[in-house]
Amino acid sequence: MRPLSALAHKLVPYAFKESSIFSLHKRSYGQFRTLLFLVMIAIAMGPVIITAGLGYFNYKDLLQKEERGQLESRLVGSSRSIEALIDSLKSIVMFVASKNRYVELTTGNNLEELFGRIKRQYAFFADLGVINQAGIQQTYCGPYDLVDADYSGEQWFKEVIDRGVFISRVYTGYRHVPHFAVAVANQDPKTRKTWVLRATIDAVTLQNFVNTIKTNASDDLFLVDDEGSLQTSSEHYGGNISSLVAHLGPGIQQGLSSEGQNIFYAIAKIKNSPWSLVLVEKRYIHHQDWTTFRMRLLVIVLACLALNLAIVYGLVTMLTNLIRKADEMQMTMLQEAEHTDKLASIGRLAAGVGHEINNPLAIINQKTGLADDLMQLSPDFEHKAAIEGCLRVIDQSVERCKAITHRLLGFARRADVHSESLQVNDVIKEVMQFLENSMMHSRIRLDLQLQDDLPLIFSDHLQLQQIFLNIINNAIDAIGKDGLVTITTHLVAGEVRVVIQDNGHGIAGDILPHIFEPFFTTKETGKGTGLGLSITYGLIKKLGGDITVRSHVGQGTAFTITLPIHSENNDRN
Amino acid sequence: MTAIDRTTLKVLIADDEVEFASTLVARLKLRKFSVTMATSGREALAVIHREPPDVLVLDLKMPDLDGLEVLASLKESCPDLAVIILTGHGSLDAGRQGMELGVYDYVMKPVDLNLLIDKIEGAFRSGTVQKGKQNGKGAC
Repeated sequence: MRPLSALAHKLVPYAFKESSIFSLHKRSYGQFRTLLFLVMIAIAMGPVIITAGLGYFNYKDLLQKEERGQLESRLVGSSRSIEALIDSLKSIVMFVASKNRYVELTTGNNLEELFGRIKRQYAFFADLGVINQAGIQQTYCGPYDLVDADYSGEQWFKEVIDRGVFISRVYTGYRHVPHFAVAVANQDPKTRKTWVLRATIDAVTLQNFVNTIKTNASDDLFLVDDEGSLQTSSEHYGGNISSLVAHLGPGIQQGLSSEGQNIFYAIAKIKNSPWSLVLVEKRYIHHQDWTTFRMRLLVIVLACLALNLAIVYGLVTMLTNLIRKADEMQMTMLQEAEHTDKLASIGRLAAGVGHEINNPLAIINQKTGLADDLMQLSPDFEHKAAIEGCLRVIDQSVERCKAITHRLLGFARRADVHSESLQVNDVIKEVMQFLENSMMHSRIRLDLQLQDDLPLIFSDHLQLQQIFLNIINNAIDAIGKDGLVTITTHLVAGEVRVVIQDNGHGIAGDILPHIFEPFFTTKETGKGTGLGLSITYGLIKKLGGDITVRSHVGQGTAFTITLPIHSENNDRN
Repeated sequence: MTAIDRTTLKVLIADDEVEFASTLVARLKLRKFSVTMATSGREALAVIHREPPDVLVLDLKMPDLDGLEVLASLKESCPDLAVIILTGHGSLDAGRQGMELGVYDYVMKPVDLNLLIDKIEGAFRSGTVQKGKQNGKGAC
C-alpha cells in the first residue's frame, strides 16, 4: 500500500498536491486552472477522438474491401470478355480451316475469294495464308508477297504443329502496323499431312475491344505479353513494363504509382493466349464518399472540441474562481480574527501601561504643583523664573502623558453596553451639531443622505456618538480645508449601514491595514495619539458591528460602519 | 451661593500612594483646607468613624481594602458622606459601580488641583444639603 501511495504522490502534479494541503499559503491558481483544464479536456475529448478514430479506420477498411471486391469482379469480367473475343477469333479461323481443304485453298484464287468473304464479315482480318507441313507458305492473300516464305524455323510454327492452335503476341512485322496472328493446324485427310491456316488480325481490334470494356477513364486496363511488352496501349505506362509485371503475382496488390498515388494492381492470365490482363486503378474509387465522410468526421470532432473547450473553460474558470474566493474568504477571516486578537491584546497591554503610569504621573503632577505653590510663597531668588519655567514644562508634559493614558484607558474600557432603541439618523444629526462650527470654519460641506425609513436599532447611544464623532473628525482632518463629507445611511440585508466618505487626500495602500492599530498615526508627533480609530474599532466590535475602509490616494476615503438592528451584547469580557 | 469656609471643611484623602497623598494634603492645606490622610482602606474607615470628614477623596486600588469595599462599608455606616473617587485605575465600570454606591463624582489621576477643589466644594455643598434634609444629623 505504501509504495503505491508514494507512486501516486509522485505522479500527482504539484498544483493538485497543493490543493490537498489545507493550509494558508497562496496557491498557484493559474497552474491549477491549466491543469484542471487539460485533464477535463482530455476526459471529454478522449472518447470522442477514439470513437472518431475507430470510425475512420473502420470505414476506410470497409471502403477498401468493397473496392477490392469490385476490382476483382471487374478483373474477372474483363478477362472473360477478352477470352471470349479470342475464342471467337480462334473459332473463325478454325471454322475456315475445317471447312476448306488444303487442296482447295492452295489452288486457283480460292484463298483470295475466301479472304474476300471473310473480310466482308470481319474487316479486321489483315491477311490469310496457307502453310504446308514443311513450313513453306503455299498461298497467301494480303498486302505483301509472302508466297514461299519459309516458317519452318519459327517457334510459332512448331507450336501450332504441336498444339493445333496458336495465337501470337502483338508485333509490328513488315507493315509496321501492330497486329497478331491466329494460326490453326489441320490435317489433310488424303495425304495425312498437316497444314496450317494462318490469319493476321489488326491489333486495333484488340485495342478497341479493351477500350470498350474499360469503364473508367482514370483507370488503366491493358494487355501485356509474358515478357512484359504492352499489347494494347496504357494510360500510364509505355513500352516494356516487364519490371512491373515481373513482381506481380496473380490477384490484387497495392502499390504506389510513379506520381506517388496509392494504386491497386491486378493481373490475370488470359487462357489460351500469350497475354495477361492488367488492371491498374487508383485506390478509393469511392473518393467522393470518403472525402465527404472525412470532412463530416472532422467537422464533428472539431465541433465537439470547440464545444468542450468552451464548456470546460467556463467550468474551470468558475471552479477556480470559487476556490480562490473560498480561499480568500478564509484568509480574510483568519486575518480579521488575527487582527481582532492583536488589537485586543494590544488593548490589554495599553490599559495595563495606562494604569501603571497614571499613578507616578499623578505624583509628578502633585509634586510640581506643590513646588509651584511653594515658589509662589517664596520671595524672589536667583533662577526663580527659570525654575518656574521648568515646572511649567513639566506640567505640560504631564498633561500630554495624561491625555495619552486617559485615551489608553478609554480604549480598553470594559464598560457594559447600555442598549436602547435609537435612530441612527438622529445620532448622526446630534454629532453633526457638535461639528458644525469646525466644518464651517474649514469650509467643508456636508451631504447627508439619510434613509428616512431606517428602522430603530438597539444599541448604545453614547458609544455610537463617539464612533461617529471619531470617524467624522477623521474625515475633517483628512480634508483639511475645502471639501465634502458625505454621510449615507441605508438598510442592507437586515443591518444598518453608515458610509462616511470624504474627498480628502486618501490613505496609501501600505498604511491602510494598520489604521485600526493603537498608536498608529501619520500625524506629527504630539498632534495625534493614534488611538482614535482603534478606540472606534473596539467600540464598533463591542456593539456587534463592523467597520471597513476603502481609500484611494488623492480621491478620498470611505468608512463603512455596519450595525446590527438587534445588538447582541458580545462583550464577553 | 455663599463662599465656603475652607477651614471648617474637613477632607480625608484615602490613598495608598503616600507620596501622592501627602503632597495633595500639603497643597490643600496651603489652600486652607482642613485635610487628613489615610494610606489604606481600613485606616480610612477608622478615621471616618473616629472623626467623620465632610468629604472623602477615595482611591480605588488599595492593598487591604479597596475603594469599592470601603464604599460598600460606608453605605451602611455613613450613607450620606460625600465621596469623590480619585484613581489612576479608572474604568467606566468602576465609575458606574461607584455612582451606584452613591459617589458624588469620579475623577481620574492625574488631576488638576483646581478641578479637584471644585469637586470637593461641590461635594461639600451636596453633603450639607443631604444633612439639612436629615435635620442636621451627623454624617455618620
